[in-house]
Amino acid sequence: MNPPVSRRHLLRSASCGFGYLAFSALCQQHALGVGGDLGDKVARIPARAKRVIFLCMSGGPAQLDTFDYKPQTGNKKHPGSVFQFSQHGESGLWISELMPETAKHADKLCLLNGMHADTGNHAQSFHQLHTGDRLRKRPSLGAWISYGLGTENQNLPGFVSLNTAKPQVYSSAFLPTVFQGTPVGVNGEDMSKATIPNIRGTHLPASLQRRQLDLVQAMNREHQSRRAEDAALESVIESMEMGFRMQAEAPGLLDTSTEPAHVLERYRVGHSVSMGTCKPSDFGRQCLLARRFIEAGVRFVEVNHGSWDQHANHRRDLKANCEATDAPIAALLEDLDQRGLLDETLVVWGGEFGRPGLTPEDGKNETGHNANGFTFWLAGGGVKGGHVHGRTDETGARAVDGKVHFRDLHATILNLMGLSPNELTYHYEGRDHRLTGPEGGRVVTEIFA
Amino acid sequence: MSHLRRLITLVSVGLLVGSVDGSAADDKAGIAFFESKIRPALVKHCYECHSKDAKKLGGKLRLDTREDLRKGGESGASIAAGKPDESLLIHALRWEDNLEMPPKEPLPEPVIADFAKWIAMGAPDPRTGPPVPVAPPVDTRTTHWSFQPVKKPLVPEPKAGDWARDPVDRFILAALETAGLAPTDDAPPETLIRRLTFDLTGLAPTPGQVAAYVEDFRTHGQRAVERLVDDLLASPQFGERWGRHWLDVARYAESNGNDGLSRNPTFPHAWRYRDYVIQAFNDDTPYDRFITEQIAGDLMPAEDDAQRDRQLVATGFLAIGSKPAKAMNENFDMDVVDDQIATVGSGIMGISVACARCHDHKHDPIPTRDYYAMAGIFQSTETLWGMAAYEGLTAPSTDLHVLKVAQNVPPPAGFVETVVPIDSNTGKPRAIPKSKWPVGTPLAMGVRDRKEPADARINLKGESKKLGDSVPRGFLSACVMPGEKTVTDGAQSGRLELARWLARPDHPLTARVMTNRVWLHLFGQGLVGTPDDFGIYGDEPTHPALLDHLAVRFAGEMGWSVKSLIRALVLSRTYQLDSTADGALVEADPGNRWHGRHLRRRLDAEAIRDRILQASGELDLRPGDGSAIRHRDIMVQLAGSLHQPSNHRSVYLCYLRNSPPPELAPFDLPDALGVAGRRETTALPAQSLFLLNSPFVVEQSRILARRLLAAGSAVEESALAAEAIRSVLAREPVSGEVERAVALVRDADAQLRSLQPDATLRREWAWAGACQALLATNEFRYVD
Repeated sequence: MNPPVSRRHLLRSASCGFGYLAFSALCQQHALGVGGDLGDKVARIPARAKRVIFLCMSGGPAQLDTFDYKPQTGNKKHPGSVFQFSQHGESGLWISELMPETAKHADKLCLLNGMHADTGNHAQSFHQLHTGDRLRKRPSLGAWISYGLGTENQNLPGFVSLNTAKPQVYSSAFLPTVFQGTPVGVNGEDMSKATIPNIRGTHLPASLQRRQLDLVQAMNREHQSRRAEDAALESVIESMEMGFRMQAEAPGLLDTSTEPAHVLERYRVGHSVSMGTCKPSDFGRQCLLARRFIEAGVRFVEVNHGSWDQHANHRRDLKANCEATDAPIAALLEDLDQRGLLDETLVVWGGEFGRPGLTPEDGKNETGHNANGFTFWLAGGGVKGGHVHGRTDETGARAVDGKVHFRDLHATILNLMGLSPNELTYHYEGRDHRLTGPEGGRVVTEIFA
Repeated sequence: MSHLRRLITLVSVGLLVGSVDGSAADDKAGIAFFESKIRPALVKHCYECHSKDAKKLGGKLRLDTREDLRKGGESGASIAAGKPDESLLIHALRWEDNLEMPPKEPLPEPVIADFAKWIAMGAPDPRTGPPVPVAPPVDTRTTHWSFQPVKKPLVPEPKAGDWARDPVDRFILAALETAGLAPTDDAPPETLIRRLTFDLTGLAPTPGQVAAYVEDFRTHGQRAVERLVDDLLASPQFGERWGRHWLDVARYAESNGNDGLSRNPTFPHAWRYRDYVIQAFNDDTPYDRFITEQIAGDLMPAEDDAQRDRQLVATGFLAIGSKPAKAMNENFDMDVVDDQIATVGSGIMGISVACARCHDHKHDPIPTRDYYAMAGIFQSTETLWGMAAYEGLTAPSTDLHVLKVAQNVPPPAGFVETVVPIDSNTGKPRAIPKSKWPVGTPLAMGVRDRKEPADARINLKGESKKLGDSVPRGFLSACVMPGEKTVTDGAQSGRLELARWLARPDHPLTARVMTNRVWLHLFGQGLVGTPDDFGIYGDEPTHPALLDHLAVRFAGEMGWSVKSLIRALVLSRTYQLDSTADGALVEADPGNRWHGRHLRRRLDAEAIRDRILQASGELDLRPGDGSAIRHRDIMVQLAGSLHQPSNHRSVYLCYLRNSPPPELAPFDLPDALGVAGRRETTALPAQSLFLLNSPFVVEQSRILARRLLAAGSAVEESALAAEAIRSVLAREPVSGEVERAVALVRDADAQLRSLQPDATLRREWAWAGACQALLATNEFRYVD
């Protein structure tokens, strides 16, 4: 929490709109935190991307059977890929047979095959992937970006989280709550119908509802003026405005029925795969909604599919997970590309860790967790296409080259967005916090286009 | 291959080729190979964790003698004689099967090849001699605060000694003085009655109650506060609020939640446990008895059938958890046990025991043995969750407790269940199986002892098919207290002994954890910030001596009375501080760690709905009767919405997992999948949308408008506006408010003219808009 002076400043600036609020919060925070020049530094980093779509594959996707090709090299069989791989695109990227549609976009993908994380514990690693911290309640990546850049559309939140898991993954934690993600559908809900509840009201004409809200906010400001020390009240006032403004655009965006049939088919909207660990998530509708939100100016959209935690029946469940996500992802990449959005939209694919490989022909079909080496891929947003960065060892057991930790990934994403990763800070409980943590992250400039 | 099967294979191989494994086979060439290739690698890469000099022996495996290497560790024998590819040691070196050794980095391929060759040679090994004992691991429990006995601390003597009212205040003031701070002013009486009424009952005082109390306070000061507090503690609404706090801890819900295969069966009898909890708080059942009833009520003596029924219902605590599907899940039974251990661990002890299912706890001193000591108790217990909507793939049907005193309540006349089970093979509907009990028989979820209680065997890596040692049933070894740590009566499951062990006044965790929960609900944050985690990764207490002081009083002189604890806390000067303070204090302590002021809080989901109903005049304070699903043993996901309109308090709504009551869902309701001692407080736009558009808020605003206008058309608009403010905010209007509300009504009336020609209906519509605005204000949702 901040001293009252900055909150009053925020409140005043709130009347200038959401984006301005974020920017002024940033400057104000910086002035308090590290000496007044972050605004400059932020401005000095050229932004390569304007928005992010995070395809969150929870459970630990098996990189060795999707994007990290490990052929058998000796006489003795070792763990590696158990599905067929072939080369795709002009770049000749090796991609498995489980991702035939995504493979058509090989030249757009930048594979990070040297990812590594701190723990093979799902909950903690998932939390670290989102917030940089394994244990404590901290702002999520989308909240940091939203805080740093605001939203391009005053009528929509800067951060939308589809088919979300726990509030921690879209939490703004100590950042002002306007930067919190807005969930659309939670895990276990039928995503084909998921919406923002109460997004439409018919009981009052819109102009009258505005008039009504003016009374609410006038009373809120009076209430708040007597409680100037309380930052939460200011956030609630802003959140009230956001809710009101969302009514103008969100219902239309959520209504995918206006899309032509062939588009719905391309995204596989309504197709749900349910097999073992693969839960029905209508991933196609999620990807389509992601495109629509991004087009409308939302900064950060997270979509979710899981679980890739196929311990017991690896081959069957992995196939199902790939089938559920492959075509929708390909459709998303294709649409972003065709609409000229891919250049400025960073697409990120990955989960909390990866899995060890199976040894072909030993009949085993179980896999565990591997946080020592796994794959993420990026596309668009100013990164090289058809590119492989980093490498695991011969059996895929651990990253040995071009290693990228979650904090490096975070730093890279912030940097691509034009935010200085180790200097985007927020003062809370006596010290400056940042997404990349005390260690800081390394920006992987090698992958910049 | 599973470890178990591999183990069996190993044993038979060992029998057949025993001679190969004997020392006679260790010829000179073999020894030379061992000395040149194997011993150096073992010394260099393995001895650190697997020898007599290991600081902490890894996996109970030693590799520094011939005998130990062959015997293996907790995962089984290390080598299969002559068969490297079947040897665990080689699997581990190759980083297969989650056995990854050495843990930091695999050895170079040639070294692994040497080990394989060595095993193929018969593993010649000259290192004979008696095994040397290994030193016990370092005992972290001696250091962590929460495992230490609770000691009665000295009450500090702060400088401003006359400020304090209760010893609590001396602890708080002393810490404030040390921090160079001073407490803010006392809260005005109008604020205090709102705070107390909310904290103790979850409701708002009426304007009349406020006026009477303020008058009483002016004349009698703290005597008036005491009277108010005693009235609130005695009201039946107290149990409805504080019972709900406990239901969060108990991960209470009336359906299983998604079993992982999208199936979500109802628990039609779970509500009886809800009623039990509310009643227990209203009766001020001593907390030690309260937890004993929930863990072992079925094993406690009962004076009459009513008491028997109540104690059986209490054990629903152990049965209402969410279960993963039974289908394809060999660990299902252990999953049920795991939920019970997790709930008792985090809920009552504030310690996460559950991680130890698969491995010694990484940071807290909870060894796997302790987990299985508790697991034995719950494995010896039969959990009665009921029919699970007649879907065996989700959970096999179980018996239920049949109650003796509770009334037989059949479904209403003409009720026909329309949601039928689906055959999982054909996908076609099938008939609802006939219940084994007569229609309307009063039933309860719960537990009972199995006929043949037994100790549990360690499940290696949490897999129930990979069995290790058997562990005597018992309790956590980490808690520093005298007396038995194992179950003494082998003929019982051990639940009663576990409950009595937990309920001991000298238990280092039980009283501290509950005291902290009560503090959290009254002050907005706990003395320990992580109410469900008193372990090493949890927060340290801000006021450790105060926590112990309260724990000693709670388990001692107060006789575990929750009402006595609440009474003492709310009568403290600290509780009665104002929530506003000067900027210097706020700046020095933004999170209010030192309690120099009172934290402002948003109403929780239940209170928001209850108070909207209170404002509209619709709230029905009679206890809710049963549940909307009491006759429906069905799959929630097939049923559409099961929620029914109700004017009862929110605690009586239907808490289905993955399908929460829509009037509560936006305001941070817990998901009931685990212990949730503290709720989040988000401010999402979804909440604004609820206040702006939800059918519930719109409807209640209309009702309130209709009630105001019922006074007759002769009443002036300003008087109506004032009455609306009183109804919603329980206070007199301040300057300008009435005028603004009236202006809104006039604007609305003009704008609605084309939509509603009838002047009476239009007036009601316009007033509804103004009432809704008041309900949507922050003042309505926040308590100072």
